[in-house]
Amino acid sequence: MIILMKQVPDAEEIFIDPVKFTLNRSQARGIINPSDENALEAALKIKDSEGGEITVISMGPPQAENAILECMGRGADRGILITDRVFAAADTYATSLTIAAAVKKVGDFDIIFAGESTTDSGTGHVGPGVAEFLGIDQVTYTVSSRIEAGMLIAERELEDGIEVVSTKPPVLVTVLINANLPRRSRLRLKIDAIKKGVEKWDHDSLNLPPEWVGIKGSPTLVGALKIPEERKRESRPIKLDEIPVLVQDLVKKGIIRTGDEA
Amino acid sequence: MVELINCVIPEHPEDYHNVFVYIEHKNGRISRGALEMLGKARELAQKLGEKAVGVAVGKNLKDIASEAESYGCDLFLGAEVTDFTGFSSVAYTEFIASFVEEHKPNIFLISGSREGRDLVSRIAIRCRTGVAADCIELDVDVPNRLLIAWRPSFGDKTIDQILCKRHRPQMITSRPGSYKMPEKIEKHTCEVKIKKVKMAKYAGEHRTLEFKQKDRLDLTSAKIIVSGGLGLGNASGFKLVKDLADSLGGQVGASRPVVDLGWIPYEHQVGQTGQTVRPKLYIAAGISGKIQHIVGMKASETIISINTDPEAPIVKFSDYFINADASKALPRLTEEIKKVIAGTPASSPG
Ligand SMILES: Cc1cc2nc3c(=O)[nH]c(=O)nc-3n(C[C@H](O)[C@H](O)[C@H](O)COP(=O)(O)OP(=O)(O)OC[C@H]3O[C@@H](n4cnc5c(N)ncnc54)[C@H](O)[C@@H]3O)c2cc1C
Ligand SMILES: Nc1ncnc2c1ncn2[C@@H]1O[C@H](COP(=O)(O)O)[C@@H](O)[C@H]1O
Repeated sequence: MIILMKQVPDAEEIFIDPVKFTLNRSQARGIINPSDENALEAALKIKDSEGGEITVISMGPPQAENAILECMGRGADRGILITDRVFAAADTYATSLTIAAAVKKVGDFDIIFAGESTTDSGTGHVGPGVAEFLGIDQVTYTVSSRIEAGMLIAERELEDGIEVVSTKPPVLVTVLINANLPRRSRLRLKIDAIKKGVEKWDHDSLNLPPEWVGIKGSPTLVGALKIPEERKRESRPIKLDEIPVLVQDLVKKGIIRTGDEA
Repeated sequence: MVELINCVIPEHPEDYHNVFVYIEHKNGRISRGALEMLGKARELAQKLGEKAVGVAVGKNLKDIASEAESYGCDLFLGAEVTDFTGFSSVAYTEFIASFVEEHKPNIFLISGSREGRDLVSRIAIRCRTGVAADCIELDVDVPNRLLIAWRPSFGDKTIDQILCKRHRPQMITSRPGSYKMPEKIEKHTCEVKIKKVKMAKYAGEHRTLEFKQKDRLDLTSAKIIVSGGLGLGNASGFKLVKDLADSLGGQVGASRPVVDLGWIPYEHQVGQTGQTVRPKLYIAAGISGKIQHIVGMKASETIISINTDPEAPIVKFSDYFINADASKALPRLTEEIKKVIAGTPASSPG
């Protein structure tokens, strides 16, 4: 099995550079993208019952190594960091292509687990994009998955219900944040992981021409930025015995309808 | 296997015309998100002097086509599935991409529903083009026939303009609820072209075994939400939140830790990893207002917070701040609201 994991900045620590109007991510603490923790857990559950090896693939800056080690501390067997300056500013096309190239290089897999979306760009496009480049099936928005007689059986959570799907691997599965409770890492496994280390691949080792990746390989580009005006709110203090005043305000605003109108 | 391939620039981008829109449908009706996109497609097509073209896959597409017609669709391209029912990303991608190849649209809009987001990335890569996801504003540079899409960035700190200058079609998604529902149009005629297709040819062994109908709690369309956080003290604190929500005819929301503790199911979670809501009234009881919660509710029209800590970050995001114990403030609010709704004059100086 392969899991796709991205290290994302913790939202709390993101801020905007007031001069250059860019997000300053370098100062933010990195965490494993939340739904990728669930993707890893889904893979670990299958490993618990069926055995198998789990390879974590992550594309990102050198610091992302920490997040990979954390995944290995939870039970992943191998960690690969795709890292190269030329990958910078990739959109989901170029990102999917780069990750698909790494999956091809790993070669042997039956299921790829990805998170449903990332919290920092949040498109949810990379999982299906990788599946498309590899020409394999996909099952998105899963809340459960298991192997039965060589088939993957998964439940997809949609707007109006749960779809139970069966398909034959190889398949890419995306996992929702409410699918499971991710386990914690174990110290012993973490020590093993540090000993084993994380492999680092660049565009050369993936045989990708630089003009296919990063900003050059991206069909979309950011043209301009607007900073939305934060709405200023009054924070009007209300004491417990002023609650009737507050409720009258809500009536005036048309939020509450009174018996007289009804 | 689809080969890894660079996003090839089409040789004649000027040959790409019209605005495609993916017509998602369930139980014989076009879904709300797709109708919003159809409204947008019509708007853009009119500015460009082009056609709004609906593309759909599934069964009974004639009925879907006539609903699309009533919302201003000019041309309807359907892939009528004649073998089994169910959904397969691979097969749907194949059918839709074949329409793209044949008709060469300049713009392609897909609702960011679960189905839309499942498909859009595959379709875009199949067509060697890019996607701007979750756009909230669309415009068009008419002379250059360039789509100008705006999407909020991480944590809504900026709104980014996304362009796809050289590749075609220019694809975007928007979350359902991002735009107004379009009006129906009287006496519009739509050309309908439906071809028969078989899923089995592309879906491999992918099958839908069962569908368990269950409406997910949709906080995104709630008018009033009362949310509780760790400050409620324990799971039974949610009873007070529920009582207040009931008195207002609203829904119950929650912060993440109380979901993690199992006080309330995940479907109630508001925030970065929960739902993004914009009700008329949002009441946050015992919630500190960490950024991951704020991004999910700050677009609410009126915000009331209840917190024992006057320094809590939620305070500056609030229109009203009740500095009190939630176990006291919540029942007082409920009682007063019930009185007012029943028509008894309020017992207050206001
Ligand atoms: C990647 C990531 C994603 C996250 N996603 C989300 C998300 O989607 N949604 C979310 O909510 N959080 C999310 N979080 C968690 C978030 O950072 C905060 O931990 C969380 O929002 C805090 O919840 P809380 O306000 O209920 O608890 P606390 O921060 O502990 O606040 C409790 C508040 O209750 C007040 N209080 C205490 N006693 C009383 C009383 N008797 N009456 C009234 N008030 C009282 C306290 O003063 C305090 O302000 C995420 C975190 C991470 C790292
Ligand atoms: N840089 C990356 N490295 C590894 N996996 C990624 C990367 N970006 C996205 N993914 C995977 O794709 C999923 C969807 O990401 P996104 O399309 O960015 O919302 C994530 O949850 C990850 O599993």
